[in-house]
Amino acid sequence: MDSIGEGSYLIVDIESDLTKAIVVGRTDGGYKIRGVGEAQTTVQPPYLDVTIGVRNALARLEQELGIKIREVEEPTGGRQFLCSSSTSGGLHMMVSGVIGMISAESAQRAALGAGALLMDVFSRDDPRPPYKIVEIMRILRPDIFLLAGGTDGGAFKQVMDMVDLVNAADIRPRFGPEYKLPVIYAGNIDVRDDATRTLKQDRYATKVVENVRPIIDKENLGPAREGIYDAYMEHVIVHSPGYDELVKWTEGMIIPTQAAIGGILYSYAMERGVNLIGVDVGGATTDVYSVYNGIFNRSLNADFGMTYGIANIMKQVGIERILRWIPTDMSERTARNIIGNIMIRQPETLTPEEDLVQQAAAREAIRLGFEHHKEIATRLKGVRIERGIADIFQQTLEGTYIDMLRTDVIIGKGSVFTRGRSSGEVALMLLDALQPEGLTELLLESSNITPHLGMLLKLNPEAALEILTKEGLHRLGTCVAPRGVGKEDQEAMRIQVAGPEGTLQEVVNFGEVRAIRLGADERAEVEIDPARRLDVGGGGGKRVSKVVTGGDLGLIIDARGRPLKVPDSKETLVRWLDMLRPSPVPTHAVI
Amino acid sequence: MSQSARTKFKTEAMIAKARRLPTRGQVYVEEGDTVEAETIVANGTVRNPEAHEINIALKLGTDPELLKQYMLKNEGDEVKKDEAFAIRRSFFSRMTKICRSPIDGTIELVSTTSGRALIRGLPIPVETRAHIPGKVAKVIPGEGAVIEARGTIVNGLFGVGGEARGEIVVAVESPQQALTTDEVKEGHDGKILVGGSFVTLEALRKAAELGVRGIIAGGVDQKDLTEFLGYEIGVGITGEEETGLTLIITDGFGISPMDKEVFALLGSLEGKQASIDGSTQIRYMALRPEIIVPL
Repeated sequence: MDSIGEGSYLIVDIESDLTKAIVVGRTDGGYKIRGVGEAQTTVQPPYLDVTIGVRNALARLEQELGIKIREVEEPTGGRQFLCSSSTSGGLHMMVSGVIGMISAESAQRAALGAGALLMDVFSRDDPRPPYKIVEIMRILRPDIFLLAGGTDGGAFKQVMDMVDLVNAADIRPRFGPEYKLPVIYAGNIDVRDDATRTLKQDRYATKVVENVRPIIDKENLGPAREGIYDAYMEHVIVHSPGYDELVKWTEGMIIPTQAAIGGILYSYAMERGVNLIGVDVGGATTDVYSVYNGIFNRSLNADFGMTYGIANIMKQVGIERILRWIPTDMSERTARNIIGNIMIRQPETLTPEEDLVQQAAAREAIRLGFEHHKEIATRLKGVRIERGIADIFQQTLEGTYIDMLRTDVIIGKGSVFTRGRSSGEVALMLLDALQPEGLTELLLESSNITPHLGMLLKLNPEAALEILTKEGLHRLGTCVAPRGVGKEDQEAMRIQVAGPEGTLQEVVNFGEVRAIRLGADERAEVEIDPARRLDVGGGGGKRVSKVVTGGDLGLIIDARGRPLKVPDSKETLVRWLDMLRPSPVPTHAVI
Repeated sequence: MSQSARTKFKTEAMIAKARRLPTRGQVYVEEGDTVEAETIVANGTVRNPEAHEINIALKLGTDPELLKQYMLKNEGDEVKKDEAFAIRRSFFSRMTKICRSPIDGTIELVSTTSGRALIRGLPIPVETRAHIPGKVAKVIPGEGAVIEARGTIVNGLFGVGGEARGEIVVAVESPQQALTTDEVKEGHDGKILVGGSFVTLEALRKAAELGVRGIIAGGVDQKDLTEFLGYEIGVGITGEEETGLTLIITDGFGISPMDKEVFALLGSLEGKQASIDGSTQIRYMALRPEIIVPL
């Protein structure tokens, strides 16, 4: 065996355009990525065989490594071969429940967590009349239907009403109308038998899993997620060209790319004990992942992306919201034409003007995606809450549990962050769109290996996390941003940084953004005293001390206020970017 | 501007167009038949999306499970607008209650659980024409046929509006010249105009008003297109726009001089009948608008 033979893993992620193979092997210093090979995905005509693209990616790997991987009988050379896939736009699902905000919402979370693109969500309290629901079900062709509803021992008739609608609709699967559509039943345990008996057997392949909402204040998404993966393997993926062969090469299951990404982000957050937000901005979609107090959530904004989906961002938010982020006096017509051209041409490289427009659109895509995510990442609705007298005066219930002041890590992923951008540009996109508060690490997943590492988790979690930390995540820096607003040029906070280059103290005025040098492998003890009414995590005007790690930009001080007000002046936007560069050796008074 | 996708063309190519109904229907051509662009290949009907849900039990003041005895029409029966389809006669007809159909349609469903009926509009007739003159290479039973012809095919970058047919008229002198209201003239109705770098909003409006079938130009301002359509295009899936004409752009949004080769090619086809289609699906480069000129 060669040096990357025994104990090595061959991992492939197949996306709509690109098939990427990596080899993970052990070295003296631990696990490492030994090589990467990429090739065009070959699911679409004229190829119609996914294995061609996989073989081509493996051939590139062989070239890079200078060794032979493929053998005649063993395309993967007998190595442990793992695979994730998101071809043909990924896994398309429809879900249903009895109550929209309870079981349907849990079903939605289960499907999104499994990496699905949600085509529609139905419920018994749906404002659309039943015949309309049936019509929509008939038109849309999902890969899988997740049917939930009722707590165990709860609603019976309402669940069966939804079963009747599914029957009436004769839903056809996206691929191969002659195949049965997989229906996963994840509702009231007492309705299981009636539901499976009633669902047309010649039309649906029904599988029963545990209830996603067994009791009103508990969600149980794991079994439904596993059920989705099983159905994806058994009924969906095998109908895509060449996958029947690919399945034979693969160790375990082929799972959706987004599920693999979610898996590794969850493990990373749990390993470090942090609250995390990840944003993945693709050409056509924007995914947001969060792990908060051990709870994982994923949301997806389909058709909001940086190439194919860029005009849809403009349609949704309006051109003015995009123009406000462009630091030049670009006319509306120019910006609109650039957006149209990026959509229709999907260029591989961008002109400087196109680049500015895409960065501006990215801020809005992330902002929209994050707003949507907050609607998914909520406490369970329908649970009775004990409320005090003070709460009577608070008219709205807290929806999401996402709190930027308690977010420890933000991870950016997608070519919009890596397309030859400076660290300052990337950091500003994340800061402007997500507006972190308190102390937050900003990381960049620049090599697109999270799907592979998500697959590796199952066989070797230690290796997956080690590689993610060492090779997958690039540190931009740690951001300090107070919650609250103040007056321009008034003192926002005093900060003391005790790092490897000494100790420095700075007074930061409101409206400023700047960086203090601190390397990616350097740590510093930071002490922040915010002005009265500003909060960096300890409460208004309260001191916070923490040991932080640096990055490309080091310690990023963002005193522009939260919520952030976008300036009318283009000069201010330029100044923000100019200020956000790694500062040279500190020239401030060292004490 | 960097460019990944661009206009492509082939001359003297064998072009095969599958002409299918969106439903099952009657096919009127046979393999080997010679067809004109306007020849009807197949026709049929599709389900009418207009449906009315009527709470009969409430209107008649009865329980849902007793509904059947009051029905004058059953599931599957046709009804005319204002025709009574359910009636509950009471004492000497003095308290008679009647349910009438709000549309011409068919009773699709009567539910004795909910007490409601669903009346759907009559099926909508659909047909598919050959679109290009040529020979029937293959019949698709119950759906349509594949038409083959030899000729020129140009795939533009983006389009709006569906299929249209007409004579090609080059309305500008160079690929750099914009197509303005000056170039759109009386007598251009039924024609397909070729512009240069750009088509103005006013020119689009005038062309639609005059009955021009299509415009092929290097570019159009995205803002003008939005105003012309009356709404913003979000995802790059088009073809269903009701604009009055089909627009195909070959080089991009904004002032985009038409590729010289494409302009020369279209110029060489002036006076010939073209079959164009603005339908576009950007994702996966699935579908680009096309201009077909058979030999």
